[in-house]
Amino acid sequence: MDRKLTLGDRLKVRSMIYVAGEPIPRFWPMRTFIHHNPLFGLEHLPFPDAVEEGSRLFHGRGYLPRSHYQGYRAEGKVDDAALRRYLQGFLREQSVDLPGIDFEAWLWTIMTECRSERLVQASDWLDGEVLAAALQGRPAPELDETVLLERLRTVLGRKIASDGPLYDNIDRLFGTKIGDTLDELLVKSCLDFFDEGQSAWQAPSREKGFFASWKDVAQHNLRFTLLGLHLRELLASSESPESTIAHILHLLKIPEDHWQKYITRQLTRLHGWAGFIRFRSTAKHYYWAQQYPADLTDYLAVRMVLGLSLVQEAVRHYGCPGDAEALQQFVHDDPHGAYLRSELHVGTILPAWAQRVDDALARRSRSGYATLAKEYIQAKRTHEAERKTRVLRALAGRVGSGALSALQSLAPEQVAEFVNVLRRWERAEGFAWLRAMESHYITDLVRKVRLPEDHPKKRPFAQAFFCIDVRSEPIRRHLEALGDYQTFGIAGFFGVPIGFLEYGKGSEVHLCPAVQTPKNLIVEIPAELELEEEPLYGALEHVLHDIKSSVLSPFVAVEAVGLIFSLGLIGKTVAPVFYHETHGHLHAAKPVTRLLVDKLNAEQAGSIIRAVQRAMIVRALQRELGMHREHVTDDEIRELREIALGNLSGKSALANRLALTPEAEAEFIDKLRSVYRVDRYETSLQMERIARLGFSLDEQVHYVSNALLSTGLSQNFSRFVLMVGHESQTQNNPYESALDCGACGGGRGLPNARVICTMANKPEVRRRLLEKGIAIPEDTWFLPAVHNTTTDEITLHDLDLLPARHLLYLERLQNGLTAATRRTAAERMPTLGASQALAAEPIAAAALARRHAHDWSQVRPEWGLSRNLYGIIGGRHLTEGVDLQGRSFLQSYDYRLDPKGRFLENILSAPVVVGEWINLEHYFSTTDVHHYGSGSKAYHNVAGRFGVMTGNQSDLRTGLPIQSMYQEGKPYHEPVRLIALVEAPAGFVLAAVGRLPKVKALIMGGWLRVIVIDPEDDYRCLVLEEGEFQVHPESGRQYRQSLLEASA
Amino acid sequence: MEWIVLLISAVLLPIFPLSLIFNRLVATAPGPWGRALALLVLPQLGILLLYHTGPFLPLPVLGQRIWLMMVLFTAVFYAFRAVSAREISVWSRLSASSGLTLTWLLVASGSPVHLTQLFVLAWSVPAALLMIWAGLLSQRMGGAYLGLRGGLATELPRLSGLITVTALALVATPVFPGFFAMLQVFHLLSLSWLWPLLLLLMIWGWSIGKFLQDLLFGIYQGEPLTDIGGTVTSVGAGVLFLFALFGLVWSGLWIGN
Repeated sequence: MDRKLTLGDRLKVRSMIYVAGEPIPRFWPMRTFIHHNPLFGLEHLPFPDAVEEGSRLFHGRGYLPRSHYQGYRAEGKVDDAALRRYLQGFLREQSVDLPGIDFEAWLWTIMTECRSERLVQASDWLDGEVLAAALQGRPAPELDETVLLERLRTVLGRKIASDGPLYDNIDRLFGTKIGDTLDELLVKSCLDFFDEGQSAWQAPSREKGFFASWKDVAQHNLRFTLLGLHLRELLASSESPESTIAHILHLLKIPEDHWQKYITRQLTRLHGWAGFIRFRSTAKHYYWAQQYPADLTDYLAVRMVLGLSLVQEAVRHYGCPGDAEALQQFVHDDPHGAYLRSELHVGTILPAWAQRVDDALARRSRSGYATLAKEYIQAKRTHEAERKTRVLRALAGRVGSGALSALQSLAPEQVAEFVNVLRRWERAEGFAWLRAMESHYITDLVRKVRLPEDHPKKRPFAQAFFCIDVRSEPIRRHLEALGDYQTFGIAGFFGVPIGFLEYGKGSEVHLCPAVQTPKNLIVEIPAELELEEEPLYGALEHVLHDIKSSVLSPFVAVEAVGLIFSLGLIGKTVAPVFYHETHGHLHAAKPVTRLLVDKLNAEQAGSIIRAVQRAMIVRALQRELGMHREHVTDDEIRELREIALGNLSGKSALANRLALTPEAEAEFIDKLRSVYRVDRYETSLQMERIARLGFSLDEQVHYVSNALLSTGLSQNFSRFVLMVGHESQTQNNPYESALDCGACGGGRGLPNARVICTMANKPEVRRRLLEKGIAIPEDTWFLPAVHNTTTDEITLHDLDLLPARHLLYLERLQNGLTAATRRTAAERMPTLGASQALAAEPIAAAALARRHAHDWSQVRPEWGLSRNLYGIIGGRHLTEGVDLQGRSFLQSYDYRLDPKGRFLENILSAPVVVGEWINLEHYFSTTDVHHYGSGSKAYHNVAGRFGVMTGNQSDLRTGLPIQSMYQEGKPYHEPVRLIALVEAPAGFVLAAVGRLPKVKALIMGGWLRVIVIDPEDDYRCLVLEEGEFQVHPESGRQYRQSLLEASA
Repeated sequence: MEWIVLLISAVLLPIFPLSLIFNRLVATAPGPWGRALALLVLPQLGILLLYHTGPFLPLPVLGQRIWLMMVLFTAVFYAFRAVSAREISVWSRLSASSGLTLTWLLVASGSPVHLTQLFVLAWSVPAALLMIWAGLLSQRMGGAYLGLRGGLATELPRLSGLITVTALALVATPVFPGFFAMLQVFHLLSLSWLWPLLLLLMIWGWSIGKFLQDLLFGIYQGEPLTDIGGTVTSVGAGVLFLFALFGLVWSGLWIGN
């Protein structure tokens, strides 16, 4: 086989991998956890179809078990009328009429009274004939030999699919564990390559790419040799990953028209890893991807090489067929043996027969297989029929008198049709339950929303912008209830996408939604002088950390310094709050800082670079030549800088003064260039970076006006306008960033708040805003703050910039915020398992919340976005004073300030889409906590500093853990799709949606539910149901008025 | 006549290849109770035959060595066979054969009859109990073949708990008599013959590991099952407790003597 592929062939393989990878959702590293829809790659399909496809690809379930829905129904959370309507709709589609059978009664009974997961499961040998016989109490008729063989081949065609992975089929027939071993070896290889600093020893030659690096290592891997894998020969002549993949597919004799499906199944087997590699290969700015490139082609090549060598080993060991053709021939030649094998090794065999079949297969005597298989098939047929009959009889008893006799009187083909209808309903039932639950919550929301009333507007004491996050809702409600506070909801990055370089941190983080790439860079600089020396405690901590992470030092250091670690261990466990406060005191406090918000002109940029280079030269002189600042003049430094940059040549004045030899001077200049980065190339790079620094005045005006107008605030500004970002505070929690701000790319929202406040407080910006009709009074001050969602504390920032006259009101403001914190904690802590009595003790509740934030054993420090349900886009008047139980994203919006609908477009295409991702991440993590969620936190281990695995090796766990979704074995998060309510005229909303194809596809595909509350149509609510808007009967002013009149 | 007695005893206290007959007898006994009874009675009959039909036939030194090798081979062979067994009664029968064959070492050392009988019970009792538990599991699942439908720990916590503890008792886990019985065997053999015993312990460890993996772990995916009642659980737990207590007393007496 020629392994050298043409460019066309290589592109063909790549394109197949690309297509196969499309359904796999990208997985962002845990440090910047991005809530995503696990079925993101299937969003082009309608929701129920995507759920089915997801089940096929990822083996995940898209709906809860029936018993959970029945529980919700008992709690009154399901709209019975809607449920029955969906059932009737289903029956109309079936158009099946059987004598004496009341399908509606049968299906309703199944749905509402049967606790078991599936009543009518698919089975190999069940048919109308055997079922009718069993119902009538007759023995199961035997299958004719020809019919049996024909059906056997059909069953085997399904179980040992010709387009399925070869190793999978071998596992099914021979009980080998090739699939598991392959996963294990592949995960190990991935961990070696993708490690981001967790391992003390790194894999060699990673910069060559995943496949090339792995190839180098694999040929000398002792473990592979011990497993009997002969990789050298296979890898010796492999050139590119594409050619390796094609070569192996040919070697395994996979028909070319099956390649696409084959590749898809290979990639989806460990979809967490595949998703991470997908993310990496498309993240241009991801440092680790830049350093150590890898893509799905590399990954697939590694997987296929390992898979092939394991198959070859199995051929040697078990004598099983070594390619797809031989395997299908094996099945064709001995279908009886193949069936018995698959029954035993897949685990579907009747337990009573398992040992007998096991013994027969162990004897390897083919002659007996046919007789044994026939006996077994008859036994299984009888067993399946009896089991089903028991179920149907019990069900008939619940349906009502006459149901059983009607069933018994059906002809065999009618019984088969009856069972098919039941089976089809059980597949469709989950979606019906889901819609009926949503219908309940839609009605609930329609009843809850308040219609605006005309009141004279008083100037509030303070206004606060919170993130639209559901966790902002309770604290907004409590803050408003305390007094003259007005709150607004806006995406937590305040509409200002920034790259942020934090003081003391070496790399830039993007604080904006994951779908955006910020153009502007904000640098945090200290407002105080920097100390040269590192504080003693910090230095000690570094030393201890280095000892811990080194390979050999723990062996010798554990006795010497191990006790020191126990102090932290005991402190964190026994008195977490005290420990962290003490620990915090020992660290140097972060200095007061400022943000560089304004754009720099070329002169300013050059000046900054010159200043930095001068500082570096001073440092170099001190370190390399032992010269302190007082011994060198500005001119000498300037001259050295010019020489290093190549603008001057010849001996410098300083070298002359110090009598340095030309070699010593050249060495020093080289060091300036290579170590201290004072060179021409670095200067031009820095200039490029500096060009990204800050925002121009136009940009600042644009962002501030957008933030204000999109939320409906253009007048009646209060004295304080708080911009409240949010963050969480947890210990020992790999999912920490999942609790931070999603709109800030899983980061913290404070820098964005500081940026927009800095902009909004600038007189020049305000003057330009006034020209746009936004009159911000002179005494209004924008103040950044951060809402800690774990403790509910709101901390004000940049108070040193606050004008003196505002200080008079600061205490009142802080008192109000503290009170809101306590009230929110009192509402929230009982839901986290604390005593209900805390609801009446706000101070104690707030103290407990603080403990949760510091407790490293706490698996559920806060509920995060669990139970999210609504997304309300409109004025706060709709929900003010309404207890939404922290379940609603609240985006402030006033369509009257948005004549062209641009703000609405932005809201629909960013916050609403992100809300949908968050909602569906929670939805699927609840419906299937093992496949879409990430299982229990208790077994999680951090993998390579970018993800978590269950145990020491597994697929990367991409969803949310069970502790975030379930409480005492029951779902805490109620899995329903996001119900988005938009306050605007219906035509206006439809026009905006029409301009956004992606959003339109999501809405029409049923990935979220939409309600439009039309202020120009009596505030009636239009609910989108199956592609059509329907007026909700309980909506509108007139309806409310009629209710009032009726009650009066 | 002595040879015939010896051969019959080698069937009842299984030594390869006559152990095949012992296994066949146990496997064909009717029902779980019958199999349990067979495991309790057959080895005791073997001891009675050996001790009550006259003096044991003295073997030449070479013969003794070959005999010892056969005993140790049988123990290791059945332990190894049990590794791949997934049906509880088969696993129990094979593991019991592996342990029971060691009785010959006590017999050869001239151990008193009552001590040898107790030694045999250290293997027979847990094996017999496992037969009963296998029967209870078969009533619920249709068979006692493990690893087909995922772990049973969450579905049948009581029954799988009893099976776990009993299986541990059968592979000489400390506290149970099997462990102290093994100490006696270690005591009997010279240092150069200990390695097969160490190998045996290792294989038992492997075997119980696989057994418990199939029994307990993994998500159960079969039909709903009804666990055993509180009374059966209490009786089972009580028997196992008494069995462990007996082991402790026995070991105390043995060490004391």
